[in-house]
Amino acid sequence: MVLKNLNDLKRLVDGIPIRKLVLAAANDQHSLGAVYRAWKENIIDPILVGDEEEIQSICSSYNYDITGLRIINEPVPEKSVETAVKMISSKQADILMKGKIGSATLLRCVLNKEWGLRTGNLLSHFALFEVETYQKVIAVTDVAMNIAPTLHEKIAIVNNSVACLNRLGYKMPKVAVLGAVEMVNENMQATLDAALLSKMNQRDQIKNCIIDGPLAFDNAVSLESAQLKGIKSEVAGDTDLLLMPDIEVGNVLYKSLVFFAKAKVASIILGAMVPIVLTSRSDSEQAKFDSILLAAAASTY
Amino acid sequence: MIRTLEQMEQKVLALKNKHRVVVAWAQDSNTIGAINYAVKKGLIEAILVGKKSEIKKTCKTEGIDESKFILVEADNEKNASSEAVRLVKNGDADIVMKGLVGTEQFLKAVMDKEKGLMLPGAVLSYVCALEIPAYHKLLFITDPAVIPFPDLDQKIAMADYAIEMANRFGVDKPKIALISATEKMGHHFESSVDYSIMCKMADRNQIANCIMDGPLDIFLACDKKSTEIKGVDTPVNGDADILLFPSLESSNPFYKGLMLFADGELAGLIRGTEKPVIVMSRSESEKSKYYCIALSCLMA
Repeated sequence: MVLKNLNDLKRLVDGIPIRKLVLAAANDQHSLGAVYRAWKENIIDPILVGDEEEIQSICSSYNYDITGLRIINEPVPEKSVETAVKMISSKQADILMKGKIGSATLLRCVLNKEWGLRTGNLLSHFALFEVETYQKVIAVTDVAMNIAPTLHEKIAIVNNSVACLNRLGYKMPKVAVLGAVEMVNENMQATLDAALLSKMNQRDQIKNCIIDGPLAFDNAVSLESAQLKGIKSEVAGDTDLLLMPDIEVGNVLYKSLVFFAKAKVASIILGAMVPIVLTSRSDSEQAKFDSILLAAAASTY
Repeated sequence: MIRTLEQMEQKVLALKNKHRVVVAWAQDSNTIGAINYAVKKGLIEAILVGKKSEIKKTCKTEGIDESKFILVEADNEKNASSEAVRLVKNGDADIVMKGLVGTEQFLKAVMDKEKGLMLPGAVLSYVCALEIPAYHKLLFITDPAVIPFPDLDQKIAMADYAIEMANRFGVDKPKIALISATEKMGHHFESSVDYSIMCKMADRNQIANCIMDGPLDIFLACDKKSTEIKGVDTPVNGDADILLFPSLESSNPFYKGLMLFADGELAGLIRGTEKPVIVMSRSESEKSKYYCIALSCLMA
């Protein structure tokens, strides 16, 4: 099964028990808006942790009727994150979302050795784009978390993303390892790592996906361009997941898609016990909503 | 497709193109014996470089008629080597062969930047065609003789040389197995890194005219049953034409073991030169020595 657009995620969520989302430092207008909408659309069951007085005042000024919503009053932002994380590790909630708190503080709590959400896996960022010019949604990793992943880290990033895509219904997602060129070039580390990842996949050391790389961006997403270059590949032109060589390439691609191609995007952090919605303040409310939707669809609880 | 060394010899003889082999420091009975056999078979003409008096003496003891060779005087190993190389370079001979001179000394003359025989920028390596009664065709291996620990570029050159040789034997798209102890990728097998890179290069036609896979162990490379038992999906499929080894220490014992215990015969040749260069060890069988000379004619 393939997702044509982000709205298709709703079909996945409809078929599973409703997930509990805990919003840490919930006194945040942008996140509250997205959470409220997701609640109204029966996508999640939210728990708000934060300054209750502020939460109530934001909701009343935007006419969010939150009667019946569970609120845990914790005015100190750091404490509210701790409370939220502990609710997850004690299995009282299924999704963690960041409100009005710095990402670093939230991640520090997630990685807390006693009560955090560590699994032993690397944390990585997973973004799902809906672009008009591509035949289906396309996942991109890692555009926001890992700066210059080593081969070892790239393996972990692929594994995180493939597990997520498997949960979204992709049995064998097609993974393109991105380079500037589709040829192996000894002076471009990304192309060498790509060759290694392909071979590990052939030997079933990276499972549940089909990996090919290096592929240049054009031949990863356009069959015509791959054919012009005479590339024989199961992945070329039909990529489900693009693996970025580093954060600079990833971040620029992410922002180009959003600003120039008017792409819709949903993104979550993978590798912890549960999906984490960690959108930034500059993300649109729609992007936050879609990220909640993605987290709900990708959640395993 | 040539499936045995004898078929290779027959093909060379059928070409009826007697190549001129010049031998550096050809004074010992071992070298003269091998050359004499090839001349007698009608495969080659021979030019022997060395102390004429010594050559004549050896011929006499061995009962060989010296008049069928052209003799060229040289007073020591070094001069004999450079003279032999010069004759090939000038076109007075087609193939150069090492006699009693040490390999290092001989290759020094071959590799001399101005007077030597190296192709510009080429890697000097060695490819060997093995005939093993237990295998259904010839098996080309590289590099059992020259490069101790090939790096990626050298491995690529080795692959290209072996493919080129297999092509000459009528194997159009040889299956090349990149040999390791296991088919799995692992950090304790450094070669697996180079191997994956090479496989991708073959995918992208950066290494052309072959079907490549690796890392593979010898079973998966040469025994179809093993690929089924292990469930490893490999295009080489137990039917390798070429084995590329990660080091001299793995390839050299492989072929010597086969010579000693499995009735193997071989034909081997230096690669990377403008004209064929024969270097063979004294311990090789008479047949293998003859096949080395025949191979050099095929590749000339």
